[in-house]
Amino acid sequence: MSLSKKEISILIEIIYSIVFALIFLPYFYENQEKTLILMDGLIQKIFQIIICSVIYFSITYSILEVAFKKKENLDERDDLINSKSYKLGYLLYEFSLFIIIGYICSKLQNKELLNLTGNQELYNSFELTDGGIVFSILVLLALISIIKSLYQFYLYRTV
Amino acid sequence: MILKNNLKEVRQKKSLTQEELASNVGVSRQTIISIERYRYKPTLELAMKISKQLNIRIENLFYFEE
Repeated sequence: MSLSKKEISILIEIIYSIVFALIFLPYFYENQEKTLILMDGLIQKIFQIIICSVIYFSITYSILEVAFKKKENLDERDDLINSKSYKLGYLLYEFSLFIIIGYICSKLQNKELLNLTGNQELYNSFELTDGGIVFSILVLLALISIIKSLYQFYLYRTV
Repeated sequence: MILKNNLKEVRQKKSLTQEELASNVGVSRQTIISIERYRYKPTLELAMKISKQLNIRIENLFYFEE
């Protein structure tokens, strides 16, 4: 299976999203019960993410440029594929934001109901932290990015 | 109705490679391959550019099949 330069660059994005999810998401998963201020080494983690992303993309795209010396311009087929895949990504972002807002609202509502029962342990388990919200948003972002890129790759192979 | 074309036959008659035709009309080789395989329907602008490049009337290059 021979791959074009554009297809390889999509694969680079997919690999990045998977690696990001595997390396950095566990940190946010472990700290989801905490608030952002109380997270240990959050600033270092953000710097790690930025530095790793810059290094990863610089190396991979440099290798890609060396391997495919010929410059590929975007044409109308690329525009069509990009618009279709970005539309899917946009719809998924909208839908997931709707789900997150609904989740937060229902959790707050459930918490108020539990308060009436007087069960303090259960009440505390429904604690809504910004760490938890950040974790959910990052998981959704990684998932949507992977789905969008996979769809884009599929379109490049079939259209 | 399916939009089909004679692009491959006409291009080969004119002894043009996919790469050359693509470069002459300003698209990628992959786009020409997709049009020849009926996977991608070009815009009117691209269809006219291709027919002009191949010196053939657009209706002789692209046609509908029942």
